[in-house]
Amino acid sequence: MPVVTLDAPVVNAPPLPSGIGIALREASMRFPSGLQALDNIDAAVAPGEFVAIVGPSGCGKSTLLRIVAGLITPTGGTCARSGDGAAAFVFQEPALLPWRTVQKNAELLMELERYAPAERTARAAEALKLVGLAGFERAYPHSLSGGMRMRLSLARVIALKPRLLLLDEPLAAVDELTRDVLQEELSLMWQAAGFTALLVTHNVHEAVYLSSRVLVMSDRPGRIVEIVDVPFAFPRAAEIRSTPEFAHLTGEVSAILRGRARA
Amino acid sequence: MLDGIRRFAPTAIVAIALLALWFLLAQTVFAGRAYLVPGPIDVLSALGTDAPNTFAATLTTLKEAALGYLAAIVLGVFIAAVLSQSRLLERSVYPYAVLLQTVPIVAVAPLIVLWFGYDDLSVIIISLVISIFPIINNTLLGLRSTSRNLLELFAMHHSSRMVRLVKLLLPSALPQIMAGLRISAGLSVIGAIIGEFIIGSGNSHGGLGVQIIFAQGRMYTALLFGEIICATLLGFLFFSIVNGAGNLMLKNWHESAL
Repeated sequence: MPVVTLDAPVVNAPPLPSGIGIALREASMRFPSGLQALDNIDAAVAPGEFVAIVGPSGCGKSTLLRIVAGLITPTGGTCARSGDGAAAFVFQEPALLPWRTVQKNAELLMELERYAPAERTARAAEALKLVGLAGFERAYPHSLSGGMRMRLSLARVIALKPRLLLLDEPLAAVDELTRDVLQEELSLMWQAAGFTALLVTHNVHEAVYLSSRVLVMSDRPGRIVEIVDVPFAFPRAAEIRSTPEFAHLTGEVSAILRGRARA
Repeated sequence: MLDGIRRFAPTAIVAIALLALWFLLAQTVFAGRAYLVPGPIDVLSALGTDAPNTFAATLTTLKEAALGYLAAIVLGVFIAAVLSQSRLLERSVYPYAVLLQTVPIVAVAPLIVLWFGYDDLSVIIISLVISIFPIINNTLLGLRSTSRNLLELFAMHHSSRMVRLVKLLLPSALPQIMAGLRISAGLSVIGAIIGEFIIGSGNSHGGLGVQIIFAQGRMYTALLFGEIICATLLGFLFFSIVNGAGNLMLKNWHESAL
């Protein structure tokens, strides 16, 4: 059993202010059905850090993310946040409101958080431009491609300028080419905005490309079995994914995953 | 233009064929027995002779059914919205709502008349009671099928119950609400006519239900046919209005209207 460090490491990220830090202490989750989803999770995410969580299906990754989001309360242990600011969640599916236009979808979270209409409009326009959806303001989600819908879903959270972004396999449903491009854009957004990001994924390449640390979880009940540091500096070129170093690291994470899944 | 013809021609051809069949049956099988099946021309002329009366009756029924239907829409959506706010509430009340639905409303209608009097109000209430259940059921189904992700999204951003209901639950239930409204469109007219049967000939300004009973008593079958057609058109009118409104509201986003 590898030693799991509790302390947040030095952040390998641009020194931007006011991301939200996360501290999980012996967090456990047992559902009323008796299912033990998480067991004694200890982890710390530093403000502004990009951390990825990988693990076999059903290991409780999403449950962990929902605990951090505050959507569910752990049945044991604690989850604490340091710092103020909004947290936002990106789902595996775009989770748009189909009866709203692109513009109105981009404004949704700000509307729920009671931002002034003028500010909503301006920020949404800016976010749509950033994700390359300028000109589609009046379109409805139905007329967009899968990749564009995911971009809109990202614009919606970016417009809120969150200090903590939780991503639950956000790119699992888009095609490979779109996925690569969106990964690069997501990385740039994170570097520009300086929020803390916690990404749940089953895609080891995605985890390594985007994050500065990868938390590897075991099969149910989920525990953190290993933390892999990703040494590549930001900004990361798209081509980094074809270097031997990158392949070596993803191979290592995959090996840990496989070993754990079988055990 | 050509597209329009292609689209509507089959329906029109069926209508013409049915009219012709009706005409032939009346001329042959039911020749001399127009008191059983009058021909289309007899029906038209009976409607023409009785036009002022039938028109007034149709308006009366239209008013009663429309009020009953509108009340059913408002009350039905409201009840479903309230029930959807709490699992406990739904669990305790919903079974009775289902049970109530199995009560043959025709059997209860006389009681409603006894309670609310021999006038329009009773007819409106009977129309309301008969058309409200599909609205409650479908609305509740729609409110309950809201995407879990969207519910979590709204929860994460501190939405009140009211915001969640108005900005998420009701819009996402709209397709099911419209399905309920479509079913209830015809039911509201049925309810109004049942109500009129029961308040009976008490007033000479009665709606189609009253006139139908009159026509039956007089063995005036041609007029009876005409009044049935008027009642059918009323239901069709409601259905078309609701269907059109629904398509307009859903046209940009829901599969059913794209």
